[in-house]
Amino acid sequence: MGTVAPERTRTPARRRRRAPAPPSRWRKLGGLLAGVALAATAVWAQTFAYTRDDRGAPLTWTGGLGDEVKASRVWVQAKAVHAAKAIETTGTNGKPQRATTTAIFLVVDLAAQSTWEPQRIVSQEILTQSGRRYSATDRVNETQTIKQFFVQPGWWVSGPAVFELPASELAGARIVVSSAGGAITEPSAPEVEIDLGLDEAAAARLVSEAKDVYPLGNKK
Amino acid sequence: MTSPPGGENRRRRPVAVPIAALVVATGLGVTAAFGGLAEAPKEPPKQLGPGASLNQGEFTTKFVESRTVFQADPFGGTGKRFLELVMEVTNTGEETAQVGFPWYEKKEGLSFGAGLLKMTPEIKSPYGPLTSVSGDSVPGRQLHPGVTSTVVVRYELTGGQHPPKQVKLDVGTFEFNEGFTQNFGWVLVKDDPEGPPTVAAQVTLPVRQKETT
Repeated sequence: MGTVAPERTRTPARRRRRAPAPPSRWRKLGGLLAGVALAATAVWAQTFAYTRDDRGAPLTWTGGLGDEVKASRVWVQAKAVHAAKAIETTGTNGKPQRATTTAIFLVVDLAAQSTWEPQRIVSQEILTQSGRRYSATDRVNETQTIKQFFVQPGWWVSGPAVFELPASELAGARIVVSSAGGAITEPSAPEVEIDLGLDEAAAARLVSEAKDVYPLGNKK
Repeated sequence: MTSPPGGENRRRRPVAVPIAALVVATGLGVTAAFGGLAEAPKEPPKQLGPGASLNQGEFTTKFVESRTVFQADPFGGTGKRFLELVMEVTNTGEETAQVGFPWYEKKEGLSFGAGLLKMTPEIKSPYGPLTSVSGDSVPGRQLHPGVTSTVVVRYELTGGQHPPKQVKLDVGTFEFNEGFTQNFGWVLVKDDPEGPPTVAAQVTLPVRQKETT
């Protein structure tokens, strides 16, 4: 009881002292600056936010030509690149079949091995400097490409991936290989992206040295 | 920081209401002058002939010709006759697209073929039209970005059907639909979201009668 009385008398005195004093100009300015700083930080922090494109995007492991790029499910190595005006394969009737294009054929020799479980290469794409995506051509049967194999842990299988694209898109092209995809879409699926090491000069050389007919075939 | 002396005494004219009234009146006047809020009359589809090009959004398509083709039977039968539509198509999108197939009877078309809404007269065949990208001995079904390829749509003329003198194609265009949460990609332009796709152009092609392979 004895403690209550003095507090009562003190409180009105405190109020009287504070209320008439307006916040000083410096305090106002400080408050304003702090507010602006907070707002700026909030806006800047938004740059780390996931965009809509990020949300559906795969996890990408990158590397260069010749590197053994180890992703979570597969190791992929792009061994060499070739260009050709036509591709010759053996058809189902045993006769040679020649595929031609109004663009140019790009053949990438790939090798793959899986990390733990057998995999299949599901998608092969060329991603160009201009942001275009080229699916592997359907003029070459899948049974002639690396898609034909089960990719197993412990040993490398080799096979080509064949694309059709304009010669002007070759410079800066990267190959994107994935063992995930198809009918089932999963978030953050792994993929391997390999820079084919084609600068302007190398791309021009590749085009000028393009074979008239590139034989692709089952070694029987 | 203080207001100028005497400022509070000056009489203020109430201008906000007259100005707002003026803005509204002008807006109404302009709207009325341009035909009011009624729906603008629809543009009639463009009328195109052989050799004409059309920008379809995802593709630039040149309608080359329509022709009849006879394919001999290697086993000595009567052979087959086809009506073909030939187009030179450039994919102006960012990704490889499939040629798909045109609209046929009640079935909706797919991919590039979805832009071919209707052909008059309709040619009935058991399996509908076949679409391919020509190329020597290995035809494809893909349209790669930046590549111009020849697309051939084939209608089989079964049971002694006579090919028409000319065909008229209703062609639609595509727009990229970003969607709200996910990309829908290229979809057909529709005036009414529930209705059929808009016919952007009608292409009339005389049928060249040809009796070789």
